[in-house]
Amino acid sequence: MLVSANSTLGTYPACPPKSWHKKERKLFSELLQAYEQKQLSKGRKIADQILKKQPQHGETMCMKGLVMVHLGEREAGISLIKDGMRKDLQSHICWHVWALVQKGEHNYEEALKSYTMALKIDKDNFNIIRETSILQTHTRQFDVLLESRIHMLRLRPYSRVHWVGVALAYKLVGNTAEARRYLDHMEGFLRNVPPRDIEYGELVFFHVRVLEELGEFQEALTLLDKKAKDRMLVDRPAIAECRGEEEWTEAAEQSWTELIDQNPDNQDYYKGFLANAGIDLDSLTDESRTKALGILEEFSSRHPKTNTYRRLALKIAEGDKFKELVKPYIERALEKGIPSIFSDVKNLYTDPTKLQSIQDIVEDIRLSVSPKDQAQPSTSGDPTYYLWTLYFLAQHYSSLGRYEKALEILHSAMEHTPTLPELYMTKARVLKRAGDPYGAVRAMEEARKLDGQDRYVNTKSGKYRLRAGMINEADEVLTLFTKKGVPANIDLLDMQALHYLTEVGDAHRRLKGYPLALKTYYAIQKLFHNFREEQYDFHLYSLRRSMLGSYVAMLGWEDDLHSHPAYIHAAVWTARIWILLYDDPSIIKSLHPPGNASSQKGESRHRFLRFRVYHITIRFIVRAKQNEDKGLEAPPGKDDDPEGLKLVSADDPLEQASKVLGSLGELGKDNIEVNATMFDVAIRQKKYLKATRELRRAHARDPHHPEVHVRIVQLARTVASVSDVPEPVKSVLEASVAELKPAEVSLEVFNSQYLQRHSLSASGILASAKVSQMLDTPREEVENLLFTTLTDGVQLRLEDALEILSYLSTIQSPRADEFRIACDARFTLSKVFKGDEEQAVLRRQCIDPRDESEVETVF
Amino acid sequence: MASSASPAPPGRVSFASLTHQNIGTVRKLNSVLFPVKYSDKYYQDILQTEVEPFCQLIYYNDVPIGNICCRLENKELYLTTLGVLAPYRSRKLGSQALQRIIEAASLHNKPQIKRISLHVQVSNGDAKRFYESHGFGEAGIHKNYYKKITPQDAWILEKIIEHGPGQ
Repeated sequence: MLVSANSTLGTYPACPPKSWHKKERKLFSELLQAYEQKQLSKGRKIADQILKKQPQHGETMCMKGLVMVHLGEREAGISLIKDGMRKDLQSHICWHVWALVQKGEHNYEEALKSYTMALKIDKDNFNIIRETSILQTHTRQFDVLLESRIHMLRLRPYSRVHWVGVALAYKLVGNTAEARRYLDHMEGFLRNVPPRDIEYGELVFFHVRVLEELGEFQEALTLLDKKAKDRMLVDRPAIAECRGEEEWTEAAEQSWTELIDQNPDNQDYYKGFLANAGIDLDSLTDESRTKALGILEEFSSRHPKTNTYRRLALKIAEGDKFKELVKPYIERALEKGIPSIFSDVKNLYTDPTKLQSIQDIVEDIRLSVSPKDQAQPSTSGDPTYYLWTLYFLAQHYSSLGRYEKALEILHSAMEHTPTLPELYMTKARVLKRAGDPYGAVRAMEEARKLDGQDRYVNTKSGKYRLRAGMINEADEVLTLFTKKGVPANIDLLDMQALHYLTEVGDAHRRLKGYPLALKTYYAIQKLFHNFREEQYDFHLYSLRRSMLGSYVAMLGWEDDLHSHPAYIHAAVWTARIWILLYDDPSIIKSLHPPGNASSQKGESRHRFLRFRVYHITIRFIVRAKQNEDKGLEAPPGKDDDPEGLKLVSADDPLEQASKVLGSLGELGKDNIEVNATMFDVAIRQKKYLKATRELRRAHARDPHHPEVHVRIVQLARTVASVSDVPEPVKSVLEASVAELKPAEVSLEVFNSQYLQRHSLSASGILASAKVSQMLDTPREEVENLLFTTLTDGVQLRLEDALEILSYLSTIQSPRADEFRIACDARFTLSKVFKGDEEQAVLRRQCIDPRDESEVETVF
Repeated sequence: MASSASPAPPGRVSFASLTHQNIGTVRKLNSVLFPVKYSDKYYQDILQTEVEPFCQLIYYNDVPIGNICCRLENKELYLTTLGVLAPYRSRKLGSQALQRIIEAASLHNKPQIKRISLHVQVSNGDAKRFYESHGFGEAGIHKNYYKKITPQDAWILEKIIEHGPGQ
């Protein structure tokens, strides 16, 4: 972060009292100058000199404090600044210094207040206004940002950038018409812009987009053409893209054709071309479908080697036409040995007839190229054609959940060609899906041994080990590709590898290593805060370089950052762990085994998460080495809790959970798991209105969701029994419950109605069983209900079965083991239903080199 | 690469030197191609730089399907393995590989290689004919060469390497 670059205090006149001696006044301006040039030691000496004569001078005290903070004496510096401010609250310098310190602590709201105080005293101080505008953008206070920008323009009306600044601010508050007015005006007075100036070109594109947004297509086009003719625009594809999107004419068709010729692999260009021909891909008619396919077919003479439009045609075509097109498409890929052909066509499977056509076609290919005897030289075409066909089919059946069939095909392919890593990787994936994480690790290991330099296989190998609960073993294999000399987990945190951190957190959680799971999830959340911080430098930079299009897009992206799936996952699990620790405080006690820091039989003990400190520390070392300036940011504290044991012992777990969930972005809150977890926290905190609000949100999304059903009953029971809420609140709650569940229906009936409706869904049955348990139904009945998930006709997925098993042990059912054994038999390939000890053995074995059968050793 | 007399096979054929990263592929190939198990020391030896031109993986359409490996003994090359997976045979892949090694041997200088030799189990007439077609001749029989497979005897085949006059 470039805090120091923006921290100039300088250009405005220093203002020590008139009564001062001339020499001291000079010294004070020297002090400001020294700070600006980062001559910190010198600045400190000067400040001392002044303070000898004027020991009560607040501004000098603040400046000395600021210099001290830079020199690394943070606490003493800050306390001196506070003293200085008390002496002179009427000084903009004091407030500015204080703002810098708060900014260094990322306390932007407070820094903004301090700048506002400084501006009250010195209202036309340009530097302060500029700093204020950055903070206003960062904190998204666009209304006041607009005022600041107009103020800046008034002070410096001769600079292009301030006109753009106002236009941008208008755009951000949503007043595009006014933004356009400023851009038009600026366009009128700009002189002598050199041709092919990228920054000006970007500005023109911004202007064009603004016009477009206002629906002024003709004017947008005129501007675009004029500037393109004047050779003002460098980004030629962007010109054509703009043109193509704005016109509905032959000229637009020409633009799209040019774009396609330039890059025939961009699917958007074909879509643009089709849209221009009046074809709406989202609502095709028989007529427009035929027309679209005709247009796409014409490209095959123009770009015979390109597949992009052929792929698009597969999406559009139906029935026999689809078969006719997909056959050569797949054949060609299998012949050429393109490994990704299955993932390429997979999303056509949303249409079951297309799925069936593809299956038929590829099975036909297998029949036609399959050798009579695999152990003999192939006589029926290229052996690799056959090999890739098998590979395709294995993935195909795996995606349909037909794991045994997939494995059978893979084994036959491995007999044919045992050296293709993809076969072992697919086998690993099949086993993973079928509930055998240990076999998956072994298969992935086989793939990795065949090709040790493939980073993808290596990464998968690490991931699969994490899935099998082998955290240290995962790091061992990941280390092969991470930075040398640094443990893998530290490097991967530094690289912000969200997928890795998510898997590590989940692995600790599954092993009940809650302290490290929490620490990891918090590390993920910290990364997102960093992403958000990192936009800071761009507020000024993007405006100066007029990279406005990308900048506005970035602001939008940042705003929705906390709705990212990885963030949601980390936040929800953090909250769930806090709830768990709240419900059962004995867990924390069991984490502190006397005399033995290691928990979970050593399995979850991971040389981990010192990294957070380490991570920040390296950055500091880098900076410290450069000069004596330690910057304004607060240094990281020492990690005195490497195992996360202090973290989990927080005495306000629900407060912690609520804080984490509160940090989610608005879009992230549109998620049933999030709503359900928020409900769980709120109801424990006795915040009944909040709990109700979250449940209604979830209910609106899916009233039949199992998680919703359980919580409706939970809420109804809670509301019926609460006595400590005021009457108006209680009636609101009761009214809400009545909306979720008809008042005349008893909870028992409500539950049996739900069961009737979902009697063929295992998750529905589980929800109903949980409710029965809540309603004090005898345990035997609850168990019997859960065992119906094993009967024919009920859709029982592996993950449902695991959840039911886990619930049976929660209610301490004596039949849990019976259920486990039944599932073990039912999910034939699975290993997750084996006993704990057996699984421990499997885990140990899966990366041991296998004993090869006794054969002759020579050489 | 030497051009073969018969028409070129339809697939792409290529070769790659052995590395620590692909040695697992060689192990996998050997485990299905040969009835013998090679020691860890063997796999270390074929990774040595001085044998690099004589130890190669064979690829067909970018899939590794065979290998050829030799050992350097004084001024002679001893061919330890040459094998191609069954479905990929009859495509002149072995011939191309052998030809490549013979050529590399004839171009090799320090030391100049005089001879390539190898053992073939006496039951494997096809293999013998294959080598003979590449200019190898029978130099004798090694009695009881194999310990655990029968027949235990092996032919010793060898080829004298011609070096160009300029070398």
